[in-house]
Amino acid sequence: MSRLWPWIVGLIAVLAIWVDIPKHGVSSFPFNCPGICFRLPGSATGFSQEIKTHLGLDLQGGTQLVLQLRPDRLPSAPTIPLFELNTQARGVIDRRINALGVSEPVIQAIGDDKILLELPGVSDLAQAQEIATRQAFLEIKVPSAEKPGEFKSLVPPLTGANLKPTSVGFTGANQNQPVVNFEFGAPDDQRWIQLSKDFVGQPVQITLDTREISAPRIQQVFTSGGGIIEGGFTTQSAKELSLLLNSGALPVPLEIIQSTRVEPTLGQDSVRKSLIAGAIGLALVALFMVSYYRLPGAIAVIALLYYTVLTYAIFRLIPVTLTLAGIAGFILSIGMATDANVLTFERLKEELRAGRSLRAALDEGRTRAFSSIAYSNFATILSATILFFFGTGAVKGFALTLGIGVVVSFFTAVVVTQMLLHGALSIPAFRKRSLYGVEEREVQRAREPRPTPVRA
Amino acid sequence: MLFNFVEHKWWYFLVSGLIIVPGTIFLLLGGLKPGIEFRGGTLLDARFTSAPASAEVKDIFAALGHDEALIQLAEGERVQIRTAALSIDETTKAEAVLKERYASNFLDMQTSSVSPSFSAEIVRNAIWSIILASGLIVLLIAFAFRSFGWGAFRYGFAAILATLHDALLVLGLFAILGYFFNVEIDSLFVTAVLTVIGFSVHDTIVVFDRIRENLRLNPGEPLNPVINFSIMQTMVRSIITSVTVIFTLLALYSFGGYTIRNFALALLIGIISGTYSSIFNAAQIVSLWQEVEDRIRGRGSRPQKGATPA
Repeated sequence: MSRLWPWIVGLIAVLAIWVDIPKHGVSSFPFNCPGICFRLPGSATGFSQEIKTHLGLDLQGGTQLVLQLRPDRLPSAPTIPLFELNTQARGVIDRRINALGVSEPVIQAIGDDKILLELPGVSDLAQAQEIATRQAFLEIKVPSAEKPGEFKSLVPPLTGANLKPTSVGFTGANQNQPVVNFEFGAPDDQRWIQLSKDFVGQPVQITLDTREISAPRIQQVFTSGGGIIEGGFTTQSAKELSLLLNSGALPVPLEIIQSTRVEPTLGQDSVRKSLIAGAIGLALVALFMVSYYRLPGAIAVIALLYYTVLTYAIFRLIPVTLTLAGIAGFILSIGMATDANVLTFERLKEELRAGRSLRAALDEGRTRAFSSIAYSNFATILSATILFFFGTGAVKGFALTLGIGVVVSFFTAVVVTQMLLHGALSIPAFRKRSLYGVEEREVQRAREPRPTPVRA
Repeated sequence: MLFNFVEHKWWYFLVSGLIIVPGTIFLLLGGLKPGIEFRGGTLLDARFTSAPASAEVKDIFAALGHDEALIQLAEGERVQIRTAALSIDETTKAEAVLKERYASNFLDMQTSSVSPSFSAEIVRNAIWSIILASGLIVLLIAFAFRSFGWGAFRYGFAAILATLHDALLVLGLFAILGYFFNVEIDSLFVTAVLTVIGFSVHDTIVVFDRIRENLRLNPGEPLNPVINFSIMQTMVRSIITSVTVIFTLLALYSFGGYTIRNFALALLIGIISGTYSSIFNAAQIVSLWQEVEDRIRGRGSRPQKGATPA
């Protein structure tokens, strides 16, 4: 197995570097596929996974909303469970966003009663609010017999629930007045025809979210379930209404309980600044490690670069959405990743001072440092896990990158650093103790009896 | 020749006390200022070519019906406006007014709004995560020292005290910053505190792990010299690890931009404190425990018997 490690480590490095190479904005990246593509020959089915760095809202700008389901605001208690309402509401919002062409939106349930909505690139809060909370509850009301001039709901109400996809059309003398064409599906088409028989010559009211949008007079008995909505629309507003009706009505009122808008310029600024901070942090750690530990320090720096490349590749593969807090977690984990190396090197020094040979000291150092490394990493993973499950937004991102970072650092410290150290020992020029930060006289001193406890 | 870490423990406790007391006073004075995430409200962060006077902005918001608006100038020609929770319509309106009033001087505006009901839930979650994290860390310590038998309790107790020391220092620092500079705390701050707790426990475990190893290798040896020797052995590692983390945090603090500066500061202070407490406090508490126990048993303070591993 030990002979296999260098190959495994090397293979992982090559794969990680391949994943890290930017694949977007590069014309004709191999085979026109920005990621992993697999296609059965002569078949249309296949597998393809795009590889890219996913930036969070705070880094690319956009709007984030947290929506609270308010079934208590429904006229009658809902007949389906809350999570079902949540799923339906997310479906409706998803259709609305798709129609607008927002790229990479996030629509997630937070528990049963909340929805997280992220709209990258949307900086118009009012538009985001419209997408998320507009109920788009269409209802046709008929003249009230008791109160002339007013309208009442049918029993049961005739709503937009069974509408077929609507479209924008034009009427008027010059065919320049935008209207929305609609058609009821079964069984509401029969009710619509029946309604035209009952109220021919009278106006009916078309309402959206309880507000009237038009009140046309029924000229003749209909023969189909279709009709038009006129409401003094512009082409734009007719399109919007059509879109709202097509994506369906929200099954439950939604209330915005949190909203955040980040300007894209600030996001780009943050990306640039955190990249600089990461590079400087890495350089400082590298400088320090080499000057303090010499050869092992240089090896630790290689392991650290390996760590950075591999972690970034994992972020791109999973994919982990990088937020500012996430990048902070990543940068922090660079510092923590060196800890495992420091633990090993200090043990190595101690064993060397105690007079062991380099190779024996290395093996002993690894064995003895292992329990400390395992415990300390375990503690960090534990807190990262808790933060991940209890946190929201920024905290989750931080916990995820920190957690992944610690797991990867465990691998690089235990496998990669050890392998490189053993590799270095096989080169005669690297077998001087002074390269490991231990002077010959220190070893002599250690061999003399000590007044304090010395291990057996 | 050996530095005696155990004998001067009261001095180290005194140093800890001196740096914790001021922060604790401001904590009790209510210096910790919850951000909008924790109390609900709206934060508008407007960027200008050249920031207007805060009184002027205050008037604008008063005219919009928000007398409660707190205006604060921030670095980068920014003006931060804190109000009660605004609806999106109100936010849009405020932005339009600012745009109209300042024209091209007004560049852009970040907005962030949390309803009071949701903020209560965020606070609940934060409290739960702190309780759960602390509970699990206690379990982890118990597990790490299980072979000490009943003696494990003093180690767990010492590790928790040392960790509380670090958490308290960070909380105190932000209470002072909140009191004098209106620095607010948010979930990122809670995250920083939890990370500090994790880091501090991990630092302490490394020291205790060494004490355990040395006690096993030198049975019958008095506790204090073993502690002293163990601290000597692990100190370099503690300091170097902290130095590398501090380097990365300093880079974050200096170059990461204002959005994560406070987060980096909380981590920075917490990790420096964690290093101090793991070297100068944690094992000393174990030593003190042992001395008190010996005194109660009427054996005098010396020589102490170390807790012998099973």
